[in-house]
Amino acid sequence: MKHTFLDEYSQIDSFIHRLDPRIKLITFIAFILFIIFTRPTSFIAFALYALLIASLIIFSKVPVKFILMRSFTIIPFVLMVAVFNINYSGLVTFWNVLIKAYLCVVCMTLLMATARFTDLLKALGKLRFPGLITMILSFMYRYIFVVQDELMKMIQAKESRSVGGSLWLHIKTHANMLGVLFVRAYERAESVYLAMCSRGFDGQIKTMDEFGITKKDISFLVLITVLLAVIRLIPI
Amino acid sequence: MHIPDGFLSTGTWVSTWLISIGGISYCLKKTTQILKDRMIPLMGVMSAFIFAGQMLNFPVIGGTSGHLLGGVLASVLLGPYAAAVVLTCVLTVQCLIFQDGGLTALGANILNMSLIATIGGYFIYKAIAKIGGKKKGIIPAVFVAAWFSVVLSAISCAIELAISGTSPLKIVLAVMAGVHALIGIGEGIITSLVIGFVQKVRPDLIYTLEKN
Repeated sequence: MKHTFLDEYSQIDSFIHRLDPRIKLITFIAFILFIIFTRPTSFIAFALYALLIASLIIFSKVPVKFILMRSFTIIPFVLMVAVFNINYSGLVTFWNVLIKAYLCVVCMTLLMATARFTDLLKALGKLRFPGLITMILSFMYRYIFVVQDELMKMIQAKESRSVGGSLWLHIKTHANMLGVLFVRAYERAESVYLAMCSRGFDGQIKTMDEFGITKKDISFLVLITVLLAVIRLIPI
Repeated sequence: MHIPDGFLSTGTWVSTWLISIGGISYCLKKTTQILKDRMIPLMGVMSAFIFAGQMLNFPVIGGTSGHLLGGVLASVLLGPYAAAVVLTCVLTVQCLIFQDGGLTALGANILNMSLIATIGGYFIYKAIAKIGGKKKGIIPAVFVAAWFSVVLSAISCAIELAISGTSPLKIVLAVMAGVHALIGIGEGIITSLVIGFVQKVRPDLIYTLEKN
């Protein structure tokens, strides 16, 4: 079965990919916060933010097309707001929402395209994010592919036996597929748990620690934060 | 219904984050008490299941399509607290990997879809299932609870947008509730069919049947 990779392009090599995941996470969260706390009328600031992200994208060697395609996910939501605000003050609200949502989505896309998901989870754990959630997330990431594979196989089997028609025509079949998927997933979880127990699982997952913050990481964080602060404080 | 970054005012996203953190830590504590150390693998695989289930898009009138929210599906199968944890993980992965919903708005999305939809939906399910009895009452209860879970989370999303000044309350409330009243019917049909199937095949896996 064919899968679109969840963290596509996170395996390629570039200056940004090599940064410590913790530093990357903090930098991009700072970026998003700076964008959110900027006045909607400071157009130059937004242009400079966009320029900064664009240069980061170029440094990261992630294809621009991929980032653009991903960033279109916010369009339906933005259009909804556009429909609700048809007057002048509404125009400012619309601009505010559009530019901020768009820049933030590009930031998040770039973060996910430059760090492996497992590394990000480990980084979250190191930054005192609740351990239970990160452990569940790392399990989930592992089994997304397996469970999805099972669902896709069932869908393929169904497609090859039935011809056309909308989903509502075969709704019972689809629901049964989901039911089967649940039962299989549950049984899989049980056997995974037993396998873990037989290997000495005691409620804690231990991984090898291999993160190290270098001078490069620190200077990247400082540089981006200073740039963001300068952009934010431009008097316009 | 996944709110992106920039749509919520600072007060709104900070307070919804705080409510969500509180709610989810309570749910985590409760789930750990119930499932003990089986919790991590079970919640992980179940999150993957709900994530895969949400890929099932169904067409709604007028070219729009909705996908399964899975809140009531999870809470009937796994119990309300575990379901809230599962939905939170699903939302977090969607926010991080697919940029479905922003990072600052994640708190609001968790509040709408994993606290209000699952726990609210669970109590509606419980109330109706009590009236209808153990055997016959379950499927209609699941249908109604699933419908309400979608509509309630749409309403709370609309209220959050209105408080933030992003859109006027009357319009956003009418549109969100209207559209999701339709999506909710799809959610209700699919959820009740799935629960009906599991009830026939492996009733021992359904948390809410075990407890009764």
